[in-house]
Amino acid sequence: MSVKITNLNVQYNTGDEVVKAVNGINLSIEKGKTLGLVGETGAGKTTTALSILRLIPNPPGKIISGSIELEGKNIFDYSESDMEKIRGDQVSMIFQDPMTSLNPVMTVGDQIAEVIAIHQNLKKTNALERAKEMLEMVGISGERACEYPHQFSGGMKQRVVIAMALACNPKLLIADEPTTALDVTIQAQVLNLMQTLKEKYNTSMLMITHDLGIVAEVCDEVSIMYAGKIVEHGNLVDIFDNTSHPYTKGLFASLPNINKRSEPLQPIPGLMPDPANLPSGCSFHPRCKYAKDICKTKVPVITQISDTHNVSCLAYEKETIDEFGGIN
Amino acid sequence: MHRYILKRLLMLIPVIIGVSFLVFFIMALSPGNPARTILGESAPIEAVEALEEELGLNDPIIQRYANYMLDLVQGDMGESYKSGRPVFGEVMSRFPATMQLAAGGMIFAIMLSIPIGIISATKQYSVLDGASMIFALLGVAIPNFWLGLMLIIVFSLNLGWLPSGGMGGWQNFILPVITLGTGCMANITRTTRSSMLEVIRQDYIRTAKAKGVKQKIVIGKHALNNALIPVVTVIGLQFGALLGGAVLTETVFSWPGVGSFLINSIKAKDTPAVMGCVIIFSICFSIVNLLVDILYAYIDPRIKSQYS
Repeated sequence: MSVKITNLNVQYNTGDEVVKAVNGINLSIEKGKTLGLVGETGAGKTTTALSILRLIPNPPGKIISGSIELEGKNIFDYSESDMEKIRGDQVSMIFQDPMTSLNPVMTVGDQIAEVIAIHQNLKKTNALERAKEMLEMVGISGERACEYPHQFSGGMKQRVVIAMALACNPKLLIADEPTTALDVTIQAQVLNLMQTLKEKYNTSMLMITHDLGIVAEVCDEVSIMYAGKIVEHGNLVDIFDNTSHPYTKGLFASLPNINKRSEPLQPIPGLMPDPANLPSGCSFHPRCKYAKDICKTKVPVITQISDTHNVSCLAYEKETIDEFGGIN
Repeated sequence: MHRYILKRLLMLIPVIIGVSFLVFFIMALSPGNPARTILGESAPIEAVEALEEELGLNDPIIQRYANYMLDLVQGDMGESYKSGRPVFGEVMSRFPATMQLAAGGMIFAIMLSIPIGIISATKQYSVLDGASMIFALLGVAIPNFWLGLMLIIVFSLNLGWLPSGGMGGWQNFILPVITLGTGCMANITRTTRSSMLEVIRQDYIRTAKAKGVKQKIVIGKHALNNALIPVVTVIGLQFGALLGGAVLTETVFSWPGVGSFLINSIKAKDTPAVMGCVIIFSICFSIVNLLVDILYAYIDPRIKSQYS
């Protein structure tokens, strides 16, 4: 399924303040491809993902403007019952925390069977049979379908969540930090599983993560998100070898280097800005070591560096490039 | 599970000892002479003294309590001072009437409170939510004897639609059941609302929505089943309040149940009758709470795994 997000703006209005979670982002995913969405906690990644399912909790959340097209059709034109038909069937989502994503009072079999029964019009017994097959596929014995979530380990719960998300062979799979809550050995299992299933069903995927290792392993393209905006976008070569945006450079610089173990880590100084009170100009300027005065006032636009690679930084814009004298 | 139930039933013994001890001493320490009450104001002092001796009223309190408990373990609750008939029979003959009233009040409360609580939670801060919360606040605040009197004034006296008291057809049930159930309903509504509010923000509710489950089913199945534990707890506790409330409600509506019998026995300082009523009420309350605990296991599989 092709996905096209245009100029999406999402805000949370808490009464005291307006939290600008997503500020005019553009994304597109081609059929069968995987897009990595990378950023710190609070960058607006999950909000973007929930927007695709129209599941932003409202109130306090509200989609202010923009469009999200699935196969060329804007989902904001759909009714709620149309969306219910899409959720879990054509678009499904794997949530971040497997510990809290499963209903504690329903058996895992029933939880998987529910999504199958809704979208494939199967009887409960047939849906349960299919749920058992799904469990087997993610490496859990089908006999355990009648057990409850508390009887499973964290990794198994995440596999149950994945089985649930894949039960109806979705055309788009949104994976919101699917491995964050898991330990490293289980991470590899889960990623392999998702990769295999994706290839088998030619599923498009939006992989939300803050782990650049996962990006290198599973993604075709990457968007780097900062303070609700996409600051850099490109394919793996663009992002990993021709890193352009100062924030992306900072992310790579803060990775530990296995060859220089004694060297201290180099974190990006400062913290992610408060989304209710974003800095003027470029929101990254207070933390950027290349920042000039103009960064405080001028909002950067998207600059195309190559056919596949674009960046949102004044240091690459024609009019202002001279002030920086090149940041590479 | 069986072991747990047995353990809980054995816990009834200390409960009964505690309750009976307290009530026996309060009755003994309160002013008034049962022998005088039985024989009447005009009876000669000798007759009263003779009866006091016969009833054992001159023995020390501890000894009287011990005697009472010895009889109790043999299944003898003594005879009512007033009627002279066995207390157990007296209470049991009135028990069904009280149970009908309590069950009616509870059903009335549950049928209204859970839907109102759910609607309030799903439409938080709406006009509907505000109205139901004011209603719930009033329900908790209004004493049920006052509510009973007001209902009688409006529906029996002024409108003449419903009888003001006594037992008979279904019409006789309406006012006492509303009187008894309103406070209970208010409490359950508030608990359902707050419990639902907490549950509908959980991740697994979002998961259910992301599966394409219809809103109605998300609320009625996924959310409600998880929100039930505190609600069931309150229902169990409210049952105790309901038995207490029955005492007043029965008096207001001349309902021939254990409650009005208890009030009359207290007035007559009829210790065996009061003790009998209180002990049977406390057994009832304990059993209802045991049922609630067993119900937990069926609502939440995590609790069930702890029992076995």
